[in-house]
Amino acid sequence: MKYLSEYRDPALARSLARRIRETATRPWTLMEVCGGQTHTIVRQGIDELLDGAIEMIHGPGCPVCVTPLEQIDRAVHLAGRSDVIFTSFGDMLRVPGSDCDLQQVRARGGAVRIVYSPLDALRIAEQHPDKEVVFFAVGFETTAPANAMAVVEAARRGLRNFSVLVSHVTVPPAMEAILSAPDNRVQGFLAAGHVCTIMGFTEYEPIAARYEVPIVVTGFEPLDILEGMLMVVEQLERGEWRVQNQYVRAVKRDGNEAARRTVHRVFELRDRQWRGIGMIPGSGLAMRPAFAAWDAELKFDLAGIVATEPADCHAGEVLRGLMKPFDCPSFGAMCTPEHPMGAPMVSSEGACAAYYNYGRYRTGSPLAHTGAGLPILGHA
Amino acid sequence: MCLGIPGKIVEIRKDAELATGVVDFGGAKREVCLSYVADDVSLGDYVVVHVGFAISRIDEAEAHKTYAILQAMSELGDLDFIRDNAESLLGEAGLPSAGQRPPESLL
Repeated sequence: MKYLSEYRDPALARSLARRIRETATRPWTLMEVCGGQTHTIVRQGIDELLDGAIEMIHGPGCPVCVTPLEQIDRAVHLAGRSDVIFTSFGDMLRVPGSDCDLQQVRARGGAVRIVYSPLDALRIAEQHPDKEVVFFAVGFETTAPANAMAVVEAARRGLRNFSVLVSHVTVPPAMEAILSAPDNRVQGFLAAGHVCTIMGFTEYEPIAARYEVPIVVTGFEPLDILEGMLMVVEQLERGEWRVQNQYVRAVKRDGNEAARRTVHRVFELRDRQWRGIGMIPGSGLAMRPAFAAWDAELKFDLAGIVATEPADCHAGEVLRGLMKPFDCPSFGAMCTPEHPMGAPMVSSEGACAAYYNYGRYRTGSPLAHTGAGLPILGHA
Repeated sequence: MCLGIPGKIVEIRKDAELATGVVDFGGAKREVCLSYVADDVSLGDYVVVHVGFAISRIDEAEAHKTYAILQAMSELGDLDFIRDNAESLLGEAGLPSAGQRPPESLL
């Protein structure tokens, strides 16, 4: 496929990896922010191709993984109501809530529907005027414009039986939370390319300057990721900390202004709880009062539903890069993609699921014999 | 979750309140909301699509430039490699011919 397959060329990838190994004079520690990039790195064996030249810490950029437990509980509560059709992106269905997940609600007869786009949820609301249709609006800055448009369209079409449960998060405050933590190990970032198609990258410039870390806006294909890594490593070797753009074919410095305008019209900044990480000030988006009629939290009075996270899930340490998935005592034993304890084991973009599915087990682990993944770029 | 798939705009609908069109993803066609790129795209352009919305037009010139740089980097890297490893590579086989890649096992 055009603009995909050419960025997967194994020979070019090996050559780039070799260049990174030759450039790095010490084992730099980099973080890829986005779960999509985590998936590519582990699936294609890019981490193994680098052979210890750099260590990749997998960032918190998986919306499924960081949606707080109480938002899941609120979703489960709504989905169980007989007057509600609950709509969601598919990957939220198996995220464990305090008692159960959305899939179990569906199995018990709850009306839970998977949609590809928030506009599909809007269509369902038009088709079912006798039902309340709620859409689970999760995601980063990439997804916020689509979800905001669904609200704008509901208002324009006068659809009063449609509402959204908003759980949006934004990337820069999370990067600052990671960088300002006393135990931070991250020396450079691959910033999430698709977030930047919307936001541009000027907001990363003060972060790069304040914390003296190189930040490179990076795409999602293997060659994009390797080139982004090389650009970070070159900066680190020269003692620089600038914001650079590897993903020039899709990201402009100022992003997508039309999309940002709609997001700003519908949502406002709010402190947001991140699952496994905790409260990050100003890191979330919530509905503006002008659109309160489409805010499921107000419409269904959900504020009373609160939850505490289980102590034996170490997702927070994994999401902050303090622990590799295979170092968690529950990994592969009590916690598997079939029976996940924490969200990073649910989503294919979660670090735990990626490590499990592509055979990244600790040496000597009883799991190690079950077979490694099939990295197409890995050592032949 | 922030998955964005590149596809080619094969139809633009102008009549509706909400700008939509059809995007071809290597043969699979889908209806896509174009309102966030409407001022920037025309028929035949490639866009990145996320949850049914085009979020960015792909700059073909930049795409080709990136790829050309990657390729040049690779060829340059191979030349460096051949120079740095001339002794072990040459052996009895003589100089590698132009464009010939070093054996994969050495990369």
